[in-house]
Amino acid sequence: MIATLVSELTSGALLAANDGGPVWLLVLGPAGAGALYFGLWSYYRNTGTSHSFERETRIGAKPVTGHDDKVDEIEGTKKSAIDGGNHTDHRQRVQRLDS
Amino acid sequence: MSTLPPPGEGASPRATDASGAPSPAPLAPTPTPPVVPNQSPTIDTRNERLDDGINRCPRCGATEIQLRPSVGMLVCLFCRHEWAEARLDETIVNGDLAALRGTTIGSGASDIDTGADSLITMKCAGCGAEVVVNTAEQMGARCHWCRHVLTVNEQVPNGAVPDAVLPFAITKDTATVKIREFAGKRRMFADRAFVRGFKPENVFGVYMPYMVVDGNVSADVAGFGEVETRQYTRGTGDNKETVYDADVYEVRRHIDFTVDDLTIEASSERAQMNAAMNTNNVINTILPFDTENAVKWNASYLTGFTSEKRDQDVAHLTPELEDQLLSIARSQVASSVDAYDRGVRWERERVEVHGTRWVAMYLPVWLYSHYDERGGKSIVHYIAVNGRTGEVMGSVPVSTPRLLAAALTVGTLIEGIVIAILGASG
Repeated sequence: MIATLVSELTSGALLAANDGGPVWLLVLGPAGAGALYFGLWSYYRNTGTSHSFERETRIGAKPVTGHDDKVDEIEGTKKSAIDGGNHTDHRQRVQRLDS
Repeated sequence: MSTLPPPGEGASPRATDASGAPSPAPLAPTPTPPVVPNQSPTIDTRNERLDDGINRCPRCGATEIQLRPSVGMLVCLFCRHEWAEARLDETIVNGDLAALRGTTIGSGASDIDTGADSLITMKCAGCGAEVVVNTAEQMGARCHWCRHVLTVNEQVPNGAVPDAVLPFAITKDTATVKIREFAGKRRMFADRAFVRGFKPENVFGVYMPYMVVDGNVSADVAGFGEVETRQYTRGTGDNKETVYDADVYEVRRHIDFTVDDLTIEASSERAQMNAAMNTNNVINTILPFDTENAVKWNASYLTGFTSEKRDQDVAHLTPELEDQLLSIARSQVASSVDAYDRGVRWERERVEVHGTRWVAMYLPVWLYSHYDERGGKSIVHYIAVNGRTGEVMGSVPVSTPRLLAAALTVGTLIEGIVIAILGASG
C-alpha cells in the first residue's frame, strides 16, 4: 500500500519534472541531510573556532589614510561581486612586500 | 598621504596595462618614524624577594602556601594569612606604546638555552638537604627530610620560569559545572565511549605558556575595489540574465596602530592547530585573558596545578606575530572600503614593526580531555575553560552512526515532502 503510494507520488514527481516543473526541488532532500550532518558535526567538534584577536585585542589605531583612483570600467559582467574579493577575510594572506 | 576620498572623487584617468587589466597598485612609501633612542632590550622581571628554596608565609614563616582561586590570593595553609604578589604592570615601565622602538624582552622571556637542564638541585633552607626538582614536570617539591616545600623561583634559562603568572580565578567546581553544561548540550550525538566515560570532575588546572606582546606598528595594503554603477537584465524569455556595470578603483590604505597584550602560544605543540590532528584550536578560542592583572612570578601560585614549559623564543614567534598584525591591519581598514559594494580584492600587504615588548606569561586553563581512537587514528578532544573569565570551548567526539541516521531521516522526510508537492503539481 505504502509502496504503491510512494511509486505513484514518485512517478508523478518525475512527470512534473519532465513537464519542466521545478525538478531542482529534488535536491532538497540530500542537501538538507548534508547540511544537518555538517551543522551538527561542527557544533560538536568546533574545528573552525579560534581566538578573534582582531576584535578582542586592545588596539590603538590612528585614522586610516590612503588613495582611491579609478582605473577601469567593467560593462555587462554576469558576476555580482569582484573576483577574489577578500576584504572580509582578514586572515587570508596576500603577496607580502618587504618592510 | 591624504585622508580618504569617496570612490569617484578625484578619479584619475583610466590606467591599464597592455593586457587591459588594471596595473598593480603601488604601495605608498612608508613614513619614516621619528628617531628615538632604543629602549633597554631587557626588562628585569625577577622576583628578587624570592630565592630558590623556601618561600615562607610573611606572617608565620610556614611554607605550606598555595593559591586560593576564589580570591586570587596566595594563602598560608597554616595561619590562613592571604597575600598577593605585585602586578607586573605596576613593577615595569610601560610607557606610551606609540613610542615603542626595537625589541624589548622580559628577562623571563629570554632565549631558551637548549643546554639548560630541566633538573634543578636546590638546597633546602630548612635542613640543608639537597632536593632535585624536574622543572619539566613541576615547579616545586617537598624536602624528603624536613617536609618543607621548596619552589623554583629563579629564572633559569630553560623556559620554565616566565616573567609573570596570571592566577586562576575560576574554581575547579565552577569549571566542572561549565564543562558538564557544555558537554550536556552535545550529548545526543556524542560518541558513546565519551558519554560513558564522561567525568568532568577529572578536569585539571594547567598553566599554559604564552608570550604577551605589545607592539607599535605601521601597515599598508593595496588592491582593487569595484563599485556597481548599473544593474540590468539582458535577453528575453528563458534566456534572461542579470548583468552589471562597475567602476574599478585602485585602492591603497595605510594605518599606524599599537597593540596591547596580543597573546601568542609559546609552546610549539599547542601552537600547532590542525583540526585533523588535534583540538588545540579550542584552547586558543578561550583567549583572551585579563593579562593586565598578571602578577610577578611566585612558584607557589602553581601549587596544586600543572604547567607546561615554554619552548618557543621571540625569534620563533615573530612570523606568527607579524601574521596576526597583518590580520589586525586588514580588519582595521575594512570599514574604510565599505563604499565598494562589489567588494575589494587586496593583493599586496606590508607590515613594519617599529617596536615590540615581549613578556612570557603562564595563563590559567582548566582542561578536560578525552582520548579517542578509531580506524587507527587517535585524537585527544579537549574541553577548555578560561581560568579567569570562565569562557568555555571544546571538541566532543561524534557518533557517526547516530549522526548519519539523523541526517538520513531528515533528508528522507524533506525528499518525501518534495515528491508529494511535485506529484500534486504534476
